Amino acid sequence: MGNAAQFTEFSTLFQQVVNGLSLGSVYALIAVGYSLVYSILSFSNFAHGGFLVVGGYICYGLFTGFELNVFSRHLLTVPAGSVWLAGLGALGGAGIVAVLTERLAYKPIRERTSMTLYLLIASMGVSIIIENIFVIAVGGRFRALPQSMFPSGLYNLGWGVTASSSDVLSLTCAVLFLGGLQFFLTQTRWGLAIRAAACDLRTAGLMGVNVSLLIAIVFFAAGLLAAVGGVFLSYRYTLYPQMGGITTKAFVAAVIGGLGSLPGAIVGSLILGLAEMLTTGYVSSQMRDLVVYSLLVLMLLVKPAGFFGKPVSDKI
Amino acid sequence: MRKSLLGNAALVILGLFLALLPLTGYQEGIVVLLCINCVAAMGVSLLTGFTGIFTLGHAAYMALGAYTAAIMTARWGVHWLPSIVAGGVVAVAVAWLIGMPTLRLTGDYYAIASIGLGEAIRLILENWQSFTRGARGFPGIASYASRGVAAALFTVLGIAMFNLIGSRLGRELKASRDDPAAASLMGFNTTASRMKALLISAFYCGISGALLAGYMTFIQPSMFDMMKSTELTAVVVFGGLGSMSGTLLGAAIITLAMELFRNASGIVPYIPSFISPKWTGVLVDFLTNLSQYRMLLYGLLLVGVMVLLPEGMQGLWSFARKIFSWFFPDTGRPDPEKEGLR
Amino acid sequence: MTLTRVLLELDRVDMFFGGVQAIRDMSFTIMEGELAGIIGPNGAGKTTVFNVVSGVYSPTAGSIWFREQDITPLKAYQVNRLGIARTFQNLRLFSRSSALENVMTAAQNRYRYSFRENLRGFLSPSYRPDPDYHYSFIEALSHMGRWAAREKHIRAKSMEFLERVGLANRARQAAGTLPYGMQRRLEIARALALDPKLLLLDEPAAGMNPEEVSALNGLITGIHRDFKLTTLVIEHHMDMIMEICPHIICMNFGAKIAEGTPDQIRSDPEVLSAYLGDEGAEA
Repeated sequence: MGNAAQFTEFSTLFQQVVNGLSLGSVYALIAVGYSLVYSILSFSNFAHGGFLVVGGYICYGLFTGFELNVFSRHLLTVPAGSVWLAGLGALGGAGIVAVLTERLAYKPIRERTSMTLYLLIASMGVSIIIENIFVIAVGGRFRALPQSMFPSGLYNLGWGVTASSSDVLSLTCAVLFLGGLQFFLTQTRWGLAIRAAACDLRTAGLMGVNVSLLIAIVFFAAGLLAAVGGVFLSYRYTLYPQMGGITTKAFVAAVIGGLGSLPGAIVGSLILGLAEMLTTGYVSSQMRDLVVYSLLVLMLLVKPAGFFGKPVSDKI
Repeated sequence: MRKSLLGNAALVILGLFLALLPLTGYQEGIVVLLCINCVAAMGVSLLTGFTGIFTLGHAAYMALGAYTAAIMTARWGVHWLPSIVAGGVVAVAVAWLIGMPTLRLTGDYYAIASIGLGEAIRLILENWQSFTRGARGFPGIASYASRGVAAALFTVLGIAMFNLIGSRLGRELKASRDDPAAASLMGFNTTASRMKALLISAFYCGISGALLAGYMTFIQPSMFDMMKSTELTAVVVFGGLGSMSGTLLGAAIITLAMELFRNASGIVPYIPSFISPKWTGVLVDFLTNLSQYRMLLYGLLLVGVMVLLPEGMQGLWSFARKIFSWFFPDTGRPDPEKEGLR
Repeated sequence: MTLTRVLLELDRVDMFFGGVQAIRDMSFTIMEGELAGIIGPNGAGKTTVFNVVSGVYSPTAGSIWFREQDITPLKAYQVNRLGIARTFQNLRLFSRSSALENVMTAAQNRYRYSFRENLRGFLSPSYRPDPDYHYSFIEALSHMGRWAAREKHIRAKSMEFLERVGLANRARQAAGTLPYGMQRRLEIARALALDPKLLLLDEPAAGMNPEEVSALNGLITGIHRDFKLTTLVIEHHMDMIMEICPHIICMNFGAKIAEGTPDQIRSDPEVLSAYLGDEGAEA
């Protein structure tokens, strides 16, 4: 009897760990893109959540085909498509929106002033604009990506622990995309340029790197990663215009890992995913957000620069 | 020295004007709301405009002030004046707790923590049923925020704020905003400077929230959401970062504009008949759904001001001159912006 | 002027950035009332010495003493409050504020209460010294009491310093719009307004033409004489330091290679090979 109870307890724990890792991997996709932008331009791009929403809706639109509703008139009808088309469209579309955001809103500000406060406020504005464009164009109601989109089923991991195929898929995709980013950053010339720019953007520019193109590439990558996260979030939970609010968690994860550090963003995300799922499993799901923010405050008190952050010093 | 006396006198006259102007009940309500919004906006302006710290959660301090005052007056039977002050003090205490770990660092730490703060306060207010009555709201608050009270508090806090930024603290905050490293090498403890700004701004928002509770007589956690925080920032940005009078003007314009929005459907009968039925339909849709576009307009305002008019309304004048010089390029006036910031 | 007391002492200071050693085993002393200079080619670690002394970085090893107090662990603002003011190689003015406001921001900090003074003042108000550029928070809120007189005093004092560096007629102009040479002098005025006991000037002549440099030389020696202010100047142009500083420290690759009077430095073989040789060949 005692053995069986212990066994159940263990499998519950393990189940929550699997769920936590899968949630954390989605956070990681979002947090890494955010950190990437932060490492280059050193400002928090609050519009990052918007890229997620754009990705989710493009995917939904291309897969199911829906009618765009402007001023209660149906102006545009999109035909249904395949998973691959929907996925590619979502990633590319979000990437392009990210690049456009940078070009239209941030670039003029960057060229005029070095105060990041202005970028921060503009990014907040962009995030509100994107969210409300979707509220007006497709309505605020919750949608779900059809379950037929990805293969369904449960994988038995042994000891009574199961993982749904969406868990496995999101983990695999996260590993694939983050691995791809790692490959891009370490093995290509542009990746080297981005890492150099993360140390010092101006110097990289003086060394002959096309800074404008570099920033566009960074924003495209960030938008693309956010869209991957957005597609999985809207598949596992629901899709709605305010979904971008979830990026707050990714920001917290990035701070816990160390602002601007990519490995930090991944580690922070996994910690956050685990903390949330363990709280849900053992305390209550209402407490999970409070736990997240307490974790943030605790981390700032104990190790303010995060696990992988460099202590910030101003060059004089 | 004389200038500041003049400013104080102007604020007193404005306060008297707001308090004594003969108005209908509806208009009186707008004046009270105006005073409440101005107090909160001044707080955010000190933090964002004068100290350069971005916040996305100042509605949380308003919520703290509102619930403190509501619980003290309605449940414990305390007089409203100490309750309002207590609202400000509670907000200050929480701000200190949040500021301690985040303001030591350079970077967007406070901005991110402020989102967390806003969410956490809302969660606590919604779930602590026995104390706050949860998400359904806290009814039956005495209507203590009359026009006179609101105008008086606005005047006193306004004078204090203008005097403060015209004193050593104003220079200290601007120094740590413009160049924290240089400021610390001039003997300023920049962490302490930022903390001072945060505490004062939290106090103003707490008072503003307490007034709001006494004006609405019913409060709800959802009244203090991200949208409210965004509105506060939008007001400050619109008025011009680093300009307190601009902030007041921005708060007045945005409060009045929002009031117009709420009654926009009243314009429908006045749509002229020469507009084709199709476009009339679009226009009616637009006007009846205007509140839906409110957030979109905030977003456009924030981005537009940052990209086109970084000085806010202050910059409107130089912007107009720039446009003018596009059409008449030989005005020969040097562009102070270009010379100054390069 | 009597050179009796040691004002600043660096004792075997090392500074590493990651694996790079910016300062190696640096020791020197500055006596009260001196006008000393540090020279060395670009990248020799001169500015790092200033950053370590003024508390921007804390050194990896070694200790720094100022007026017989160990200031090694102190933060920048604490070091400054003890009486060390500095200027910056790449200007750090508050460019949107007026020249006068820049100086006033410094002048209001001429005296800061220490923690102990605040505590004792709290217990017995008569204890606290009342420097004539200070007023309380309540007075700031209400603009009553000492506010008007003290603000006027801060302003007048700041104008004096602007006059001293020849910028009185530019007081109202935004600091960022001043010509380069004036911005350098404004930085000096701002540092003077802090009432320091030690003034650190980081490449004050950078980007100036020869006439401006000779005017600057006059200004620095004048300030040193009139305020009886111990001054330490960094320059990589040797001529200027040779002209005004009786005490010179020469650095190369993060280490001190020579110290002495201008004549001693000029004839030091190591200085000649490390510094003059290269520069001379180029020029």
